[in-house]
Amino acid sequence: MKKIIAVVRREFVERVRTKAFVISTVLLPVFMVAMVLLPALMMSGGDRTSRIALVDASGTNLGQAVSRTLAAEKLGHGGDAKARYTVRVFPAASDQLTAVRDDLIGKTGFSINKEKDGWDGVLVLTDTTLANGKLTYYGSNVGSLEAMTKLQRAVSTALAGVRLAKSGVDAALVKQAMSPADLDTTKVTDGKLTGQSGAESYLIALFMSFILYFAIIIYGQQTMTSVIEEKTSRIMEVLTSSLTPFQMLLGKVLGVGSAGLAQMAIWGGSVFVLSSQRTPLAGFFGMSADAAQSFPIPSMPAGLLVVLLAYFALGFLLYGALYAAIGAMCNTIQETQQYAVFVTMPIMVGFFAVFALIKDPTGTLGVTMSYIPFFAPFTMPVRWSLTSVPPLQLALSLVLMVVVLLACVWLAARIYRTGILMYGKKPSWGELWRWIRA
Amino acid sequence: MTAASVRIESVTKRFSGHTAVNRLSMEIPGGGIFGLLGPNGAGKSTTIRLIMGILEPDEGRIVLFDSPHNSRALSQRIGYLPEERGLYKKMKVLDHLIFLGETKGIGRADARKRAQAWLERLGVSDWAQKKVEDLSKGMQQKVQFAGALLHEPELVILDEPFSGLDPVNAQVMKDIVVAIAAEGRTVLFSTHVMEQAERMCDRIAIIARGEMVVNGTVAQVKEDFGGRHVALGFTHDKARAANILADRALIARVDDYGASAELQMADGADPEQLLAALVREGVGLRRFEVVEPSLHAIFIAKVGADAATAPAGVAA
Repeated sequence: MKKIIAVVRREFVERVRTKAFVISTVLLPVFMVAMVLLPALMMSGGDRTSRIALVDASGTNLGQAVSRTLAAEKLGHGGDAKARYTVRVFPAASDQLTAVRDDLIGKTGFSINKEKDGWDGVLVLTDTTLANGKLTYYGSNVGSLEAMTKLQRAVSTALAGVRLAKSGVDAALVKQAMSPADLDTTKVTDGKLTGQSGAESYLIALFMSFILYFAIIIYGQQTMTSVIEEKTSRIMEVLTSSLTPFQMLLGKVLGVGSAGLAQMAIWGGSVFVLSSQRTPLAGFFGMSADAAQSFPIPSMPAGLLVVLLAYFALGFLLYGALYAAIGAMCNTIQETQQYAVFVTMPIMVGFFAVFALIKDPTGTLGVTMSYIPFFAPFTMPVRWSLTSVPPLQLALSLVLMVVVLLACVWLAARIYRTGILMYGKKPSWGELWRWIRA
Repeated sequence: MTAASVRIESVTKRFSGHTAVNRLSMEIPGGGIFGLLGPNGAGKSTTIRLIMGILEPDEGRIVLFDSPHNSRALSQRIGYLPEERGLYKKMKVLDHLIFLGETKGIGRADARKRAQAWLERLGVSDWAQKKVEDLSKGMQQKVQFAGALLHEPELVILDEPFSGLDPVNAQVMKDIVVAIAAEGRTVLFSTHVMEQAERMCDRIAIIARGEMVVNGTVAQVKEDFGGRHVALGFTHDKARAANILADRALIARVDDYGASAELQMADGADPEQLLAALVREGVGLRRFEVVEPSLHAIFIAKVGADAATAPAGVAA
């Protein structure tokens, strides 16, 4: 036992001391934050007032109505939010429509501020618009699904209002009736509100599965590489004279794993701290508390952090032991590729299963995957973050995980025992079988 | 310590068709220096690895300290320097020695103290905080040497301990090996440098092709080899000695070094006869001495033919 601790300590200390460890520990959260923040920042860049030229050939008051509705749209929720659109109406007779339209289109789509009286888009109402709802928008931002949805919704509202008014419905009543539904989502776990929105659950799930995937692959391969290094540097011979192969294998996997766990804890812990301190933090960046709530740092409940770390630990031990066995079988990194594929494949399957799970967290596929020990390290924490998992299911998954883990460690130890002192050619499958049975 | 440190009983080890060690039996008594000699590919390292439990014998058995346990269970009592030196390249020297001590079951604080003492003794204490890879090969070897001895084992097994060392460092190591033996501990080392073995060892075993050739104390081995031996040193006109040296009635075996030679007299021949003949021919002599046979001569005589045909490409 003392000897295993010595091996664990050596693996841990030597790994944590490296520059690569320090850099990756700092860099990954920065990278993740950038991944989350950049799209948000880019989208907010698109949140500027669009200048729309409204060509009204409807011959009714439809143009005025649409213009009013568009002008009432705001870019944000607060009272001081900027208007989403500035609209100018160009009334046109039906026979002049094409000329007016083409003239306006000629001034559309230039980059901001380049053309003083330019437009971001031209909205054309014809005399049939009111009847059949058909209208055309020519613009530079037609590729933005979000912008088009918003525009369509606003025009629909105006159109409906005008239609209802024509049928004699009171304008005030129309306005009241047309106020849109505003759906906010909040996740419920075990009959309690978690305070997480649907978007947050999704972000957490994605974030976690990426971290688990990378951590297990990277640390698993580090285990493999370090076994090969011990073989090539021939230190193995000194070690085998004082340590049993089982002590060496367990010490190595635990040591590398605890370095990985430390890194995960730093990452998970920083997300936890960030999410619980989001309001002061947002203030630090000059954002209002209101904006902070929509600030895309997912909140990390303590329970989830525990589940995440537990599954990482078990998953890493499982895959780490297998990677170590592969290291023991080979003499060079190149040689390992042929075998490593058999370990990397289930990791990939587990990782991709997460996407199926995100789509349907309570579906059969996701639930089944969270029982299979090779995939559970990826699927179970994600399932936990998306829906509430019955304790019995979690326990069953953990028990299965431990059983298969022990089987894999046993298998790896058998291979390790013979492999570490074999130099020269790679073993065939038959030889491998003999090592295991010996 | 009178009990045998190591007892090898009719051990055979085969590697894919090739027999590296063939029914080898020997006993390494407690205390003193035991030399395991043999040409390249003789099976020296295989024998040592069998003793260390790194390899399992196909037949026969190996008993350490008359104990039923294998060498790993007894590893606290055994120090091992493998032929292929290996250290963690990225580790600091002191940390590495502490780790090696810990794997032998020494506590951390104790291991640190011992490691520092050893680095001091080997004159590399300035390098304690340097990474192993920054050290020269010779220095790395010293560090590994210290690692093998840190836990003060009663049996020290050194595979080719002096290879690759300059004379000064070889001297330092030699002194340490002698000191260990003086404390009553046992040293087993392998080498193919006969002069070294001859000067240091109490007992030797020469093996070739995995089989025992000679085994016993150095004096005994020489006595058993028998015959009378003459060491010659030439100054000039060596060519004139050619006929005399070729005379099989006078001389049984010649080991010619150019400026010197070691001869084994033929049975019944007298060294005086030889001296007279040489003087008669006018051969210039620097040295003429009746000597014990050197281990080197014995080695050449016993395994010379074998050594030349030793299977190539197999680690000794």
